[in-house]
Amino acid sequence: MSERRSVILMVLSLVLTLTVIPLSGCNAGARAANELVVTGSTTILPIAEIAGEMFTDDNPENKVLVSGLGSSAGIETVSRGSSDIGTASRDLKEEEMELGLYDTPLAYDAIAVIVHPSNPIDDLTKEQVRLIFNGTYTNWSELGGNDVRIGLVNRDEASGTREAFYKIAMEKSPFDRTAAVLPGTGQVRSVVAQAEGAVGYISLGFVNNEVKSISVDGIEASAETVVDGTYPISRLLHFFTPGEPTGLAKEYIDFVLSDEIQNGIVIDAGFTPISAGEDR
Amino acid sequence: MMVDEPRIDEGGTSSGNLQLMSRSTYFKETALKNIFLLCAFVAVMGVALIFLFVGWRGWPLMADIGLGSFLGGAEWNPTSALYGILPLIWGSVVVMAGALALGTPLAVGTAIFLSEIATPRVRSIVRPAVELLAGIPSVIFGFFGLIVLRPLIANATGGLGFGAVTAWFILAIMIVPTIATLTEDALNSIPPGIREASYAMGATPWQTIYKVLVPAAKIGILDAIILGMGRAIGETMAVLMVVGNAPVFPQGVTVPLSTLTSQIVMDMPYAAGDHRTALFGMAIVLFVVSMGLVALVRLIARFQTSMDRGR
Repeated sequence: MSERRSVILMVLSLVLTLTVIPLSGCNAGARAANELVVTGSTTILPIAEIAGEMFTDDNPENKVLVSGLGSSAGIETVSRGSSDIGTASRDLKEEEMELGLYDTPLAYDAIAVIVHPSNPIDDLTKEQVRLIFNGTYTNWSELGGNDVRIGLVNRDEASGTREAFYKIAMEKSPFDRTAAVLPGTGQVRSVVAQAEGAVGYISLGFVNNEVKSISVDGIEASAETVVDGTYPISRLLHFFTPGEPTGLAKEYIDFVLSDEIQNGIVIDAGFTPISAGEDR
Repeated sequence: MMVDEPRIDEGGTSSGNLQLMSRSTYFKETALKNIFLLCAFVAVMGVALIFLFVGWRGWPLMADIGLGSFLGGAEWNPTSALYGILPLIWGSVVVMAGALALGTPLAVGTAIFLSEIATPRVRSIVRPAVELLAGIPSVIFGFFGLIVLRPLIANATGGLGFGAVTAWFILAIMIVPTIATLTEDALNSIPPGIREASYAMGATPWQTIYKVLVPAAKIGILDAIILGMGRAIGETMAVLMVVGNAPVFPQGVTVPLSTLTSQIVMDMPYAAGDHRTALFGMAIVLFVVSMGLVALVRLIARFQTSMDRGR
């Protein structure tokens, strides 16, 4: 459901952006002190948006304007000063290092490769995962498993999970287009849970005992391996600010990092809370 | 609005003399006439506006994508700016044809049973059940297909259970009410004399059904099948949930495929630019197909009338 909600949020934020752009054009740089503009990654959008609403519910005198234009746009706008916080689902590129942005990670996004519980395969290399999803392998016996046809389950193109999997696991090589395309994490999980040869991918937070999560490059997907950075199909979600966050931006970021958001929205959206790493 | 002199139709009065209406009756009658006209007008305007809107949004297709690479393109891959809908048209046709092949015998059989064989008591149970089938929202058929039927097919075939076969079974059930109701009407409208004549010749009920009644109702049955075809090709939710939505030419009937309708729903939330235009282009294609089917029904009706006159 969070995907659908994110679509709605995306549309809402697009409308917001369209109304904000002309406004900010009139008084560029002279934003009201009680207004916070958060721009960037569509993956982070649901968290940023809902946290923004809850933040303004608690502090009605403030306004949080959230929009999802993509990670690059987030970094670009915050460094230009047209937004207060830039959100990104990737690390800074080399040329962006010089912008002097301050990084506050807010959550981990890890994607688990899931198969039917009866599938004897426990471990695959990242390269094998890629070759499965681009259609090179068609039978589990080619990977040392049973003689069962591989049933690929993919997500729709609007999915942020698909986008992340495409970048991290597929290294931007194309998916096998004969794969079943399902419009939700829950559907992927239930289909994989019911078909012997099926393989799919979902956010780590949604893995349950109906499916088996496969370890990649020998690393099991878990909160620990995601936090210590060893699990290969994961990434950090970032807030970027020009210098250490102050004022309203700091209040908002602290709110997102609070237990209320971390253990609520962040987990609901299928991400791993950043606080999972703080206990270490 | 043309309004004749207010007067009662001559045939309607027993005495046959012309009587003027009272003024208030006249106004009531005129008001009613106009209200019904407005109802019809709203429906027609709805169709016209939808057509205009879809046409307006889909029109840039000609310039941006090109009709040839749209209708004739073998690859639907919006991220690579490839908008060929041939695999989707093929998917729609495969799904529709299989559903008709399974559903038509079922529906015609149901109609024959209801019209010729069932006792009034049995009919009073079966007919509402068939009609109820038409009232079930398609998403429930889809859900049933996804949760119940798909795993069964997955077990039987060793795949995921998504594919044309699953859609065939679901759609075959869904088109039964459409085809059965219209076929039953066609059978019921056969003059009783024809039936009686057949029995009088010593024909058994079965001989009467397949040698006399079905041939006599064939035009009506054809109409029913065409409308069932329209239902099958336009069905979206139920199909979306069981076909697997892979926009490719399927290598078999138990592997994922996609149809025009399901692809529109899958892509609508995020499509922009040419991609969105292409989706409206697909809507135009569906519009043209359904207009074609309605036109076909009308043509057959006209053909039948002229045949009846020729008798």
